[in-house]
Amino acid sequence: MAKPHVSDTNLNRRKFIQYGSLAVGSTIVAACTGGGSGPSESADLGEDPIKVGVMYSTTGTIAIVEKSLQDATFLAIEQINTGTGPWEANGAGIAGKKIEKVVVNPDSNWDLYNQMSKRLIDEDQVVCVLGCYTSASRKSVLPVFEEKDAILYYPVYYEGNECSSNVFYTGAAPNQQITDSIPYCYENFGPKGFFIGSDYIYPKESNRIAKAELEKAGGTVVGDEYAALGTTEFITIINKIKAAKPDFVLSNLVGDSIPAFYRQFKDAGITSDDIPIMAYPTTEEEIQAMGPEYSTGHYTSFNYFQTVDTPENKAFVEQFKAMFGKGRVTNGVMEAAYLQTFFMAQAMKKILEEGGELTPGNIREATRGQEFDAPQGKVKIDPDNYHTYLYSRIGKWKEDGQAEIVFATDAAVKPIAWSQTLYKGRVCEHTTPDDRSDPTKETGKDLEPVFL
Amino acid sequence: MLAFDPSSVFLSTYLLAQEEAEAVAEGGFDIVTLLNQALNGVGIVGILLLTGLGLAITFGVMRIINLAHGEFIMLGAYVTFVFQDAFGMDLLMTIPFAFLVTAIIGAVVELTIIRRLYGNPLETLLATWGLSIVLQGVVKLIFTAQLKYVKAPPYLSGNLPLLSDDAGGALISISYYRMFIIAVALALLGLTMYLFYKTSWGRQIRAVTQNRDMAKCLGVNTKLVDMGTFAYGCGLAGVAGAVISALKTVAPPMGQDYLVDAWMVVVTGGVDKLIGVLAGSLLIGEANAVIAFILNDPTARVIVLAAVIVLIRYRPEGLFTIQKRS
Repeated sequence: MAKPHVSDTNLNRRKFIQYGSLAVGSTIVAACTGGGSGPSESADLGEDPIKVGVMYSTTGTIAIVEKSLQDATFLAIEQINTGTGPWEANGAGIAGKKIEKVVVNPDSNWDLYNQMSKRLIDEDQVVCVLGCYTSASRKSVLPVFEEKDAILYYPVYYEGNECSSNVFYTGAAPNQQITDSIPYCYENFGPKGFFIGSDYIYPKESNRIAKAELEKAGGTVVGDEYAALGTTEFITIINKIKAAKPDFVLSNLVGDSIPAFYRQFKDAGITSDDIPIMAYPTTEEEIQAMGPEYSTGHYTSFNYFQTVDTPENKAFVEQFKAMFGKGRVTNGVMEAAYLQTFFMAQAMKKILEEGGELTPGNIREATRGQEFDAPQGKVKIDPDNYHTYLYSRIGKWKEDGQAEIVFATDAAVKPIAWSQTLYKGRVCEHTTPDDRSDPTKETGKDLEPVFL
Repeated sequence: MLAFDPSSVFLSTYLLAQEEAEAVAEGGFDIVTLLNQALNGVGIVGILLLTGLGLAITFGVMRIINLAHGEFIMLGAYVTFVFQDAFGMDLLMTIPFAFLVTAIIGAVVELTIIRRLYGNPLETLLATWGLSIVLQGVVKLIFTAQLKYVKAPPYLSGNLPLLSDDAGGALISISYYRMFIIAVALALLGLTMYLFYKTSWGRQIRAVTQNRDMAKCLGVNTKLVDMGTFAYGCGLAGVAGAVISALKTVAPPMGQDYLVDAWMVVVTGGVDKLIGVLAGSLLIGEANAVIAFILNDPTARVIVLAAVIVLIRYRPEGLFTIQKRS
């Protein structure tokens, strides 16, 4: 910053070092202490607990989402340790052993994810890690997990085009979110789509796949705009939308940009009847923050909504609210963070009951093919590509901030890691047992949708 | 002055726009969209002006490198949230409280931290940076990291159509809420200028910033003046937070977004004259709007930031500064 009068400052080197180290130190302390306050930290974990890393940012721009993922993970761990909820039949703990969570907070900083995952694996010697939200953070830790052959459970819908022997993907692959929602938009709203997103890997890749899907269906993309992560000023993008007169908007904005966009969209005089918004990252939680009056009539495509009618979901919502407060809502990413913790626990239980060791190799083999009655319905880890069979649903937001489900598959859909519109016939098949060789295979054929 | 600017543009181009409106082709670069964008720029200017004004006081007048400015905006937004949530107040009613609470916090900060660091700009920078981390942390501890919902006043929803097509659909329009933001920003700028240039408190402030020792000799209570001025600057940031809370997102890190913009505005406009903040926000807001329209938002931000850096290289005092002897 321009500061013409600094020449007379009495700052000397020693003082600079003093204050400088103080400032740096306080930032590190702030970054490291933010997440260590789980609800059951003081609970007795018995002898020889299983150490599991929990890696979500509770500070920084993406904390808004990742904190709720952490909450859902804590709820699942609590239920496993006490033998309640879906874990009731298995008794407290995993074959008698409790989970000890090792919580780190990477402060929304992609490099810190990398460092902290190294720390979790090398120093804390955790058995596996639950964590990450953005694709940027996953890409940042991927080399660490592959090099050290450790296991990461990743709970987020993402752009696909990835297949690792060290990651279990429990969020939606493109064919469980984009493949159904784009034809839905084409048929119900019209052929012209305007695509927007935050400026990083996931929204760009996701929009690229969606563009291919829309063109395949016969529609066109009349605009493609990105805003820096954390942007809350959308007046220009909205004006471009007005000028392009699309039939619908596809939004891949994430985080704190979401409420600002919906509010300014309505404030600019565009109603959901004029131009409906189809979104992927907009969930119950963002709707609650923007106020349902701004979202009514818009759409979201996700595997899970709080209104999904299953007994498992009723219990999940109740238990979540009991633990974190009545005012809270549940959403799809939280549900994925919740269900993947049970996949992990089931795999560990299987290994321990067979008298095995909790090595990454054993966990990998045991997790493949696990099934679980999740809040969204029955789901399963695909033994071939380590993604998850999930339901595909589209919700229309109502005035109470909850979704009316207007489209749903009858059963969980088999995940396909690669977008078939962009990479026709490319699939991912890990060997059994997994020797960590390249799993990518080109079949060159159209893949038929497979249901669980 | 600002408010009339776009309408005079309309008058001169009204006929042209009317013709164009009838021949509006799908998409493309038509004049109506461009005019709309110029008007949108005014909306951005309003927010820049509002968020930059507090910094124009704490940095422009007091020369405090205040990196916690964004957090005072955030605090204002949270005050609005709390008063709405607890007492069901209308957003407009919460504005005075946002001012008062942030001003009081500002006074406490001045008393405990800033006061000890006058004349040490670098240490002030580090202290306020630390303060911003602390304030974010405290807010997160109290309110959690979740986004918060602030209700916009229903009577400010809707748009004012400035130009309509034959069917009565608005071609060029500005939302009432954006107009409200501009009005609040201009009113606060006017009030602040009045306070600074027409009242004895303002004269005392200027005397203290120009020659502290002399002012002290002449019987000015410099400590009180410092505290009052800093508190006023923080209070303005609080008002900004309250007003924008219904259009943007309320969350602990929200202030960071406005900090850089506020600094650009103040530095570009020049730190000596309060009117500079209006010039700075006009320039940056409109430049941003036009470049973002032609290219895209992230690129516009890069270009504008680069332009500001070039500008302060050649005019470190900013655009609107009278030359004076040091």
